[in-house]
Amino acid sequence: MTDPHDRSTSRRRFLALAGSAAATTALAGCSGGGGDGGENGSGGDNASGGEATEGADTTAGDQATTSGGTEGGESTETEAGNESGDGSGTGGFGVTITQGQPPSTLDPQNHRETPTDNVVLHAYEGVLARDAEGKIIQKLATDYERVEEGRVRFTLQEGVTFHNGDDLTPEDVAFSINRIVKEDVGFTSPQADQLAGVTGAEVVDGERAVDVMSDGFNPIVFASFATYCDVMQQSWVEERSGEEIAQNMNGTGPFQLESYEQGVRVVLSRYEDYWREPADISQLTFNAAQESSTRVNQLLEGETDVAVNVPPQDAQRVRSSNSAGLSAVPSTRVIYNAMRYDVEPFSSPQFRRAMNYAVNLSGIVENVLSGFADPTGQPTLEGFFGYNGDVDPYPQDQAQAESLVEESGFAGAEITLHTPVGRYLKDVEIAQAVVSQIDSLSNVSCGISQREFTSLAGELTDGDITTGPDFYLIGWGNATFDASQTIIPLLTSDGALTSYSNEELDSLVADAQSTSDEDQRESLLQEANALINEQAPWIFLNRQYSVYGVSNRVEWSARRDERINAYAMGETS
Amino acid sequence: MATGRFLLKRALQGVFVIWGVVTVVFLLRFVTPGNPITFVAPLDASQALRQQIAAELGLNRPIYVQYVDYLASLLQGDMGYSYISGTAASTRIFNRLPATLELAIAATVVAVCLSIPLGVVSATHRHQPADYGATGFSLAGISTPNFWLGIMLVLVFAVQFGLFPTSRRVVGFLPAIEMLFTEGSVDGLVTWLAHITLPAITLGTYFTALITRLTRSGMLDELGKTYIRASRAKGLPETLVRYKHALRNTLIPVITVVGLQLGTLIGGAVITEAVFAWPGLGTLVINAINARDWPMIQGSLIVIGAGFVIVNLLVDALYASLNPQVANE
Repeated sequence: MTDPHDRSTSRRRFLALAGSAAATTALAGCSGGGGDGGENGSGGDNASGGEATEGADTTAGDQATTSGGTEGGESTETEAGNESGDGSGTGGFGVTITQGQPPSTLDPQNHRETPTDNVVLHAYEGVLARDAEGKIIQKLATDYERVEEGRVRFTLQEGVTFHNGDDLTPEDVAFSINRIVKEDVGFTSPQADQLAGVTGAEVVDGERAVDVMSDGFNPIVFASFATYCDVMQQSWVEERSGEEIAQNMNGTGPFQLESYEQGVRVVLSRYEDYWREPADISQLTFNAAQESSTRVNQLLEGETDVAVNVPPQDAQRVRSSNSAGLSAVPSTRVIYNAMRYDVEPFSSPQFRRAMNYAVNLSGIVENVLSGFADPTGQPTLEGFFGYNGDVDPYPQDQAQAESLVEESGFAGAEITLHTPVGRYLKDVEIAQAVVSQIDSLSNVSCGISQREFTSLAGELTDGDITTGPDFYLIGWGNATFDASQTIIPLLTSDGALTSYSNEELDSLVADAQSTSDEDQRESLLQEANALINEQAPWIFLNRQYSVYGVSNRVEWSARRDERINAYAMGETS
Repeated sequence: MATGRFLLKRALQGVFVIWGVVTVVFLLRFVTPGNPITFVAPLDASQALRQQIAAELGLNRPIYVQYVDYLASLLQGDMGYSYISGTAASTRIFNRLPATLELAIAATVVAVCLSIPLGVVSATHRHQPADYGATGFSLAGISTPNFWLGIMLVLVFAVQFGLFPTSRRVVGFLPAIEMLFTEGSVDGLVTWLAHITLPAITLGTYFTALITRLTRSGMLDELGKTYIRASRAKGLPETLVRYKHALRNTLIPVITVVGLQLGTLIGGAVITEAVFAWPGLGTLVINAINARDWPMIQGSLIVIGAGFVIVNLLVDALYASLNPQVANE
């Protein structure tokens, strides 16, 4: 019943508590109730979902070069080899992780948030995965290849069992894929569009393999499967209601469900028959605390081992603590200001470029985000497939900005930046800095409109570009590490969240998505990024960091994709 | 008999209040900006997927059909399923209720135990140091924002001195009591007390200050009345005059306020819950509102409304027992 991290209790302590309660009361004073909301969005604005992260230490390492569309592979490199400890799998080592939000469900295919992902990924696995740097590795598949256009094949591991003891079969894998992408399975997965282009899966006769069919060539099929589609057992799913699946887990992962208090706590224990080395951790607990200061206090008091999203203002407290430190890494999330191409003054490329020149991005990174961010100059982040290393962020040049505004013919323009409140790290503060810098131009007036996220997002996702604001701040996470999955939805003419239309860009992206030559595809996406930088449909802002407070008793480093993988954790020797 | 009729009438009024809440909240969803699909589907989901999800959740049916269906389900005890988690709204709400009730009752106990003696002392020692101390405390209590108080209490008593845990509810009160009786162990109860102390003080301090002031002014009012002078003239001991006669009459408005405050606390103490990661109804409702998770919003508000009605019924019953004239009116 009691928490392993709790101090031991005794009658003496009881008396001490009673005494201090009286003393505390004597010092107390307060106001009535009310709400202050949380600091983290629990949802995510991307294909993978994700919380709004909250600041980071400046420890950006070298960016890993990742592949978003490899054509299969037989590498024997596995996650364990890359990032796990020795996986001794013995002894009692309990770890507690505190996120901003609890998981919304335990059904790995019926959610779209990072906090939920972080829990379910310990019990469920996909055919492919990513290492800490974002590189594609095998998981339940020993091999993956493209057998023909529109058809790829995953050959499956032997000796894998579900937590109920049953063997993993190709039928389970095919069922799991179809449960996400098919419309006639009695279940609508919000992840359906995340396996972009995939139309279904079938077992290969006589082989321990599954074929996945796509509509067309689908260059990002492996990148998608490296991030999405956890494998579930067909019979286990079919025997249960949606509500039962949402509150239980039966996967092939290194941890199995021990107890689940919905909205409060998830306790997992080491799965001793895991097909790889059992985890070092014997018990894994996920808690939630909406307030970042609460998470940090828990960490400093030894009540948790990992605190997610440590904000800049609390980073120093963690750094100076004797019991914990910071682990930070650039995330997959980019923050930007979209400018609608179809309305004046944003219809003018000169005006849009002027807005970029007006903004002191390095100042925002340093002063607003305490250095816990990287400046960007294109939609694709460094380390992603298609990133263009020759494109730099816009420097601040007020004179150039004013000159471009004059050239655009929109001198005297009055614009308003719409920003969500509390959705992304320091979103309002970033917006205020942008607005103030634009407003300081002699020929543009800029104001700010603070918006509730759901209301703003509703306008952006209704399929009608004209219902959205002209100028808005938003963030986008892309866990596929492929440029196309940012550019297509946000900047192509038919994108679900687009604010821009450009025939040349559409053509470049279409060519990139249809070519089977990976080098050519990369080159096309880099060209697209250069064009986007030049056309400036956005004010390019910052790349968010993922920042974690980590207890000194745990050995672990943060990942780029905002996921926490406790299998890679070990006890500090 | 009159009291029974009075309470039955109040209970019937309560049913209409809850129905009104259900109806208003149900209609609010159609005028509130923001679509629940925003949170159920990824932002880049295609319109086809959005429509598919909307159909699965029944969001594409006419309002009146949805309303009638909802009321029919409600009469069968079904509050619907959360759009986000896919689990029964009632299960999630009732799982949160014990934590909310524990915190609300603990805060009320803190408030009542401190405020009534303070108010009485303050009134009986008017313009003396004890009075100045009590009124000063009241002023400070009413003026201090509780998010600040909660954070300060944690920093001082949990982080600095390590006397209390920083946050969370590790064990519930009933399981702790069960542990006491089945295993003879006080560990559960001590753990529960350790975790609830700071949140209860945070939540109860404003309440304490309010009732202290109310008690003080009520007592001063009563002590100046003719019947008190008559009691003293009859030679009744001062303690009897103060605590049997004056305090009893003072408590009538105090009970009303305590009841109303307790009803409010059942609605969830959002700030306190957030600061202490306390898994109560308040944060559940706020998160549901932010996600436009209407089954959860509606279900929570029904439970909160019912809580208000029940608490008010209890207050009315207590009021009627203290002052039988109320029932006759």
